[in-house]
Amino acid sequence: MSGRLAGKAALVVGAAGKDNMAQVIARRFAAEGAKVVVAGRNRAILDTLAEEIGGIAVECDFTDRVSIFAMVETTREALGGIDIAVNATGWGLLKPFLETTDDDFDRMYALQLRGPFQFAQALIPVMQDKGGSIIQVTSATASIMFHDHSAYMATKAGTDHMLRTIANEFGHLGIRVNSISPGVTETPMTAEAAAVPGLMDAFAKGYPLGRYGTSQDIAAGCVWLASDECFMTGETMQVNGGLTLRGNPTKDAIEASVAAAMTQQG
Amino acid sequence: MGRLTGKVAVILGASDARSMGAATARRFVEEGAQVVLAARRKEAVEEIAAELGGIGVACDIADEASLAALAQTALEHYGHLDIAVNYAGQSAQASVLDVTAESLRSQSDIHFVGTALFIKHMAKAMTGGGSIITASSLTVLVQAPDLGAYAGSKGGADVYVRVAANELGARGIRVNSIAPGFTKSAMTEDYFGIEAVTNAFLKEMPLGRFPTVEDVANTALWLASDEAFVTGQRIDVTAGQALRRTPRADEFV
Repeated sequence: MSGRLAGKAALVVGAAGKDNMAQVIARRFAAEGAKVVVAGRNRAILDTLAEEIGGIAVECDFTDRVSIFAMVETTREALGGIDIAVNATGWGLLKPFLETTDDDFDRMYALQLRGPFQFAQALIPVMQDKGGSIIQVTSATASIMFHDHSAYMATKAGTDHMLRTIANEFGHLGIRVNSISPGVTETPMTAEAAAVPGLMDAFAKGYPLGRYGTSQDIAAGCVWLASDECFMTGETMQVNGGLTLRGNPTKDAIEASVAAAMTQQG
Repeated sequence: MGRLTGKVAVILGASDARSMGAATARRFVEEGAQVVLAARRKEAVEEIAAELGGIGVACDIADEASLAALAQTALEHYGHLDIAVNYAGQSAQASVLDVTAESLRSQSDIHFVGTALFIKHMAKAMTGGGSIITASSLTVLVQAPDLGAYAGSKGGADVYVRVAANELGARGIRVNSIAPGFTKSAMTEDYFGIEAVTNAFLKEMPLGRFPTVEDVANTALWLASDEAFVTGQRIDVTAGQALRRTPRADEFV
């Protein structure tokens, strides 16, 4: 098998949504020659993807320690080891800060900060003999602002920094740990927002390259981080067309853009 | 089909076979690019270029006319320019108390003014979009004594890269830098001869080995290819040393 990930064993978590970011990453990894385990919460969707790419489906609840460790163990047994592990789970909660409940925050923390922590704890013993690449999908909003997104952004930023500590402590085992930061990305999750006239126009102006991202962009970044060609660790790679140079629109700017589009249509 | 098939790349700072520039040129050619290699030493760069089927050009980054001519040479020979990589650099050492205005200006001319004018002339020649890459440094990320002029001018260039990325995005041009760590190359060969220095540095590298010019070349390849939706960024090739520190001189034992 040729390809930039030929012979590699890869685990991609968060792939239980049709055509979501993790699915696109898994397809690209398979196309580059990797053996791929896809994981997430919806068995039927995972099975369809696994069949398509010749991979294996494993159910996992990323808020549950036992489930995460079982997923990693199942993957190790199925593939004979793990060279590459990607976590692309997430919960895009938008809620005003003063209305965000402790329960919201706890759920966010469990998925977006404790999950990556437990995932790394499960992976390091598996990767310690041969090395490996751990990739966490975080977010441009870990470093730039967006309104009504505090719990999401705080846990993503926490994960970025936690990854640096893991990179620092386990680099000598050949384990590289990095995160990749998308901005607004065309995915099934954002399709609804994209259908609101004027909404995405407000975001597009924040991208120096003139377009927002696609899951293919993120998958390409993951291939680079996963491949033996990459000698980077402890970094947050911004794969968002320069969004962090400009920033997201304010709430007012988005509302104005939508209102203008509505008027034009009306 | 290579990852850079059909692309034309200018690489400045490629006069030594052990350099990052030469390693990048080899990697780019493997992936199908045509290369224009440049350096101050014309004969040396012509020899490396000839081995790779490219062309060699004399260029001094401190001379704007010479940068403009470099871009023109690429256009005249190959008809377009898609990728431009700048590794031109020179290390100068002086403590903050001893540094001279002359040294500060000369370091700025090479690393800050030179990088800015390299971006200017390469971007003007990139009529169909492109990728510009310039060398930053570990010294921007963790402080090293006596390298104020070097690190300061490199750090200034990184800020300039962000401004350039923001402005040039509309033309489809991406601008990024690569921050190599303590890499064995033509420039650092003397340091690598001193075991006390290499031992002390190695302890500060989480990945447990020195970055190589091939690592830097592979990073340049990622940023150069159309796959990288990345602009205005500094990509780290320090073996994780940016997470730690520069060893002190008293640790060179």
